[in-house]
Amino acid sequence: TPRHATPSIPSRSLPARKPGNVLEEARARLHVSSVPESLPCREQEFQDIYNFVESKIMDGTGGCMYISGVPGTGKTATVHEVIRSLQQAADQDEIPPFRFIEINGMKMTDPHQAYVQILQKLTDQKVTADHASALLEKRFSTPAPKKETTVLLVDELDLLWTRKQNVMYNLFDWPTRRHARLVVLTIANTMDLPERIMINRVASRLGLTRMSFQPYTFKQLQQIITSRLNRVKAFEEDALQLVSRKVAALSGDARRCLDICRRATEICEHSGQKGAIGLVGMSHVMEALDEMFSSSYITAIRCASLQEQLFLRAVIAEFRRLGLEEATFQQVFVQHQALCRVEGLQPVSVSESLAVCQRLGACRLLLLEPSRLDLLLRVRLNLSQDDVLYALKAD
Amino acid sequence: MTRRWFPVAFRRRVFSSGGISVLKFHYWDILFLLKNPVSNHSSCSTMSKRKCGEQQLAVGECVSQVQRVLRERFCHQRLPHKPVGLESQYKHLLELLRRTAVHGESNSVLIVGPRGSGKTMLLRCALRELLELQEVKKNVLQVHLSGLLQTDDRIALREITRQLQLENVVGDKVFGSFAENLVFLLDALKKGDKSSSRPVFFILEEFDLFAHHKNQTLLYNLLDVSQSAQAPVAVVGLTCRLDVLELLEKRVKSRFSHRQIHLLSSLSFRQYQDVFRSELTLQDDFPDSKFSQEWNLSISKLCEDKSVDEILQKHYNSCKDFRSLHSLLLLAVSRVSVSNPTLRAVDLLEASRISSADSKGNILHGLSILELCLIIAMKHLNDIYEGEPFNFQMVHNEFKKFLQRKSHSIHNFEKPVVFKAFEHLLQLELIRPVDGGVCKVQREYQLMRLMLDHTQVMEALQRYPQCPTDVKQWAVSAFG
Repeated sequence: TPRHATPSIPSRSLPARKPGNVLEEARARLHVSSVPESLPCREQEFQDIYNFVESKIMDGTGGCMYISGVPGTGKTATVHEVIRSLQQAADQDEIPPFRFIEINGMKMTDPHQAYVQILQKLTDQKVTADHASALLEKRFSTPAPKKETTVLLVDELDLLWTRKQNVMYNLFDWPTRRHARLVVLTIANTMDLPERIMINRVASRLGLTRMSFQPYTFKQLQQIITSRLNRVKAFEEDALQLVSRKVAALSGDARRCLDICRRATEICEHSGQKGAIGLVGMSHVMEALDEMFSSSYITAIRCASLQEQLFLRAVIAEFRRLGLEEATFQQVFVQHQALCRVEGLQPVSVSESLAVCQRLGACRLLLLEPSRLDLLLRVRLNLSQDDVLYALKAD
Repeated sequence: MTRRWFPVAFRRRVFSSGGISVLKFHYWDILFLLKNPVSNHSSCSTMSKRKCGEQQLAVGECVSQVQRVLRERFCHQRLPHKPVGLESQYKHLLELLRRTAVHGESNSVLIVGPRGSGKTMLLRCALRELLELQEVKKNVLQVHLSGLLQTDDRIALREITRQLQLENVVGDKVFGSFAENLVFLLDALKKGDKSSSRPVFFILEEFDLFAHHKNQTLLYNLLDVSQSAQAPVAVVGLTCRLDVLELLEKRVKSRFSHRQIHLLSSLSFRQYQDVFRSELTLQDDFPDSKFSQEWNLSISKLCEDKSVDEILQKHYNSCKDFRSLHSLLLLAVSRVSVSNPTLRAVDLLEASRISSADSKGNILHGLSILELCLIIAMKHLNDIYEGEPFNFQMVHNEFKKFLQRKSHSIHNFEKPVVFKAFEHLLQLELIRPVDGGVCKVQREYQLMRLMLDHTQVMEALQRYPQCPTDVKQWAVSAFG
C-alpha cells in the first residue's frame, strides 16, 4: 500500500500558451484566481485585522476574532494578505516569528477532522481524531520555552458545528490558556452566527472581537476591476460602470463581477472580425449580463412543444377555475383534453398527457409529487402565472 | 484400393453421371463427394448465387444490414458529425474547453436542457473535436462522474482518485479513508499550477444530484479549485433542471461562474421532417448500392406521404426531442423484413399507434367481465359522490343493484368471488388505498380510490371484445 505517496497532478508535456492579445491578457488578469498583491477597498479591514494579530504576537498572548460577510466580499483574501505582510515583518525581525495554519470547514469530511488537520500541519503527525485532540490539548496547555505564536485561520466556521459543539469549544478555549499563544481567526457568512448556533460557553469564549465585511458598492467594484486590469486597455469606461452597478445592486459579489467581465471579453472576441480586436463595449457587457442573470423559464416555455404549452394552459385554466394554486393531474387532464378539442388536435390519452406532465416536471417548470400517485398527483407551477401567460402569449 | 468398399449404389451414381470420365476419377474428388453429398440441383443453385453476389447481396442480407445500421443510429446514440441546430452553444463550449486545455484557464459551466435535448451529445462532440488537436490530446485528464452512480461524496472521491490515477491508487484500488482521500486530492490539486500541470476536465452528469450530497462538499471543493490559483480544471455540469442554481448553497453558488449553456431547441416542423428523412437515409458506404438506392427512394417517397406527415406532426406536437423520434423509428424499422423490404407508411402508423397507446386502457382490455363490472360500479360511485373514496362493500352493493335490475344469472357471483376480483384490481393498481394501505381496518372496509379517468373507462368498454350489452348500457346510464 502506498503509505508515503506524494500528492501531485502529472505535468504537461508542453507548457500552457501565454495570452496572445489584449483581450486574452485582460481575461487572464480578470480571472478570480489571480489575486492581486494588495486588495483595493479593504484597507480599513486590513488594518484592523493586522493590528489585532500583531498586538497578540507582540504580547505573546492569544485571542479570537470573528469575521463575517456574504460570499465574495474578500474575507479570506484579506486575511491572507494580513498574514503575508506579517510574515514579511517577521522576516525582517520587526515582530517575533509565528506559525500560520489554515483549515476550512468545507474541506473536511467531518468536524472532528479539524484536530487531525491542525496537528498534521503543526507537527506532521498522522493520527486519529481523538488522539489528535488529546495531543493538541497537551500542547496548548503545557508551558514550553521559546514557544512561538500560532495563528490559526478557520474558514467556513459554521460547518464545525456538532451537537455538543466540542470542536468549536476547544478551538475557542485553547487561546484562553496561559501558555497557548494561539490566535484564532474565524470566518463565516452570517453575522449573528455566534448567537444563533453557539451555546453560551462557546459564544462567550469567542469574545466580542468581531468584524463584518460589507458587500462592495459599485464604486468599489469599479475600482477593483480597474486595478486588476492595470493599464491594459480592454474595456470602455461605461461598460465597466454598467457591470459594477448591476452587480452591486444584486449582491455585491466581486467574483460575479469578474466573471461577467471575463464573459464580456469572450463575447467581444467572437463578435469582432478576425484580426481586428476592439474594446469591450456596452453591447457586449449587456449580452453577458443577460446571459448570466436572466431566468431561462420564459425561453423554456417558448421552446416547449405544442402539447407542453397546452398543458401549461390547462394548468392555469384549472387554477382559475378552482381559485387555488394547486390541482390534481386528473383535473388538469380534463382541461387539457378540452383544450385539445378547441385547438382541433387529436385528443390525448392519459398516458401521453402524463408523459407531457412529467417532462415539464423534470425541467422544473412544474412542481410534481412522485409519479406513482398517477392521476392523483398534485401539480403546481414553479413560476408565477403571469410569467407563463407572458411566455405563451408573446408568439 | 479404397474404391473397393464403396457402396454399390454410390458407384452406380458416379458411373451414370460421370460418363466416360469416370475412369479418370481422382481419389480426392470422391472424398469431396463423400463429405458433401449434394444433389445436382442444389449445387447448381449455389453456383448461381455466387455469381450474382459480385454486385448485390441477397434481400435477406440487405435487410439485416439495414436493420443493423439503423439500429446503431437509433439505440446506440451514435455521435453525429456536427450537432444539429446547436451551433452557437457548441462554439461556446468548445472555446471554453479549449482555453482550459491550451491556456490553463480554470472554468466552470453548466449545460442545461430538457431530457433528450442532446446535452451529452454536445459535450462528447466537443471533447472529440478537442482531442483531435495534438497539443491537447496528451495534456488533458478527464474525470467522468454521474450523479446516479456516485451517490455520495465518498464514492465520488474514490472514483475521481481512481480516474486521475493519483499515487494512492494501486491498480484500480484506492487506499485510505474518505478524509484522507479528500486531503490527498486537494493537496494534489493545490500543488499544481496554471502553466505546468495538466488540466483536468471534471464532467458531472446529473449535476443536480450532486447538489443533494451532504454539505455539497465535493461541489464546493471542485468549484473552489476552479476559482483559485491551483491546477487548472474545467467543471462541466449537465442537468435537466432549470432551477439548478437555486439548489446550490450560497458559498458554492458564489464560486460557480454562472455560465449556463441552455439547450432549448426551437426546431421548426420543417427541420423535424428533414431530420426524419436524414435519419432513415442510408449512407454511401452501404455495401449494396442498388438496394440502398431503392431504399432511399422509398424513404423520400415516404416523406411526401400525407399520412406520414400527420404522424410526424402529432409526434412533433407532443415532444420535439430526437429521442422520442428515434424510439418511434425503431419500432417502425423493426417491422421491415424480407417479405416487405422497404419501410411503408403502414409500419409507421402501427409504430405510432403502439407508442401512443394508453397503458391503462390496455390493462382494462385484459380484464374479465366481472372486474369490468366492478370498475363500472366504482365509476358510478365516483359520479354520485364526486370522487369521495369508497370501500369494497359500497362497490358490492352497487354491483348487486345492477344484478337485481338487469337480473341475469350469468353475473350472479358469490361475494368471495367478487372480493377476489376486487383484490385483483388492487394488485393491478387500478384502485389504490387512500392511506397507503397501512391501516388496521378490515379489508372489505378499507377506503379506496379509482385510478382511472372517466374517458378511459368508456373507451375501454367500446373496445372490449364481446362486451355484454346490458353491461354497456349500465355503464352509460347516468346514475347506476
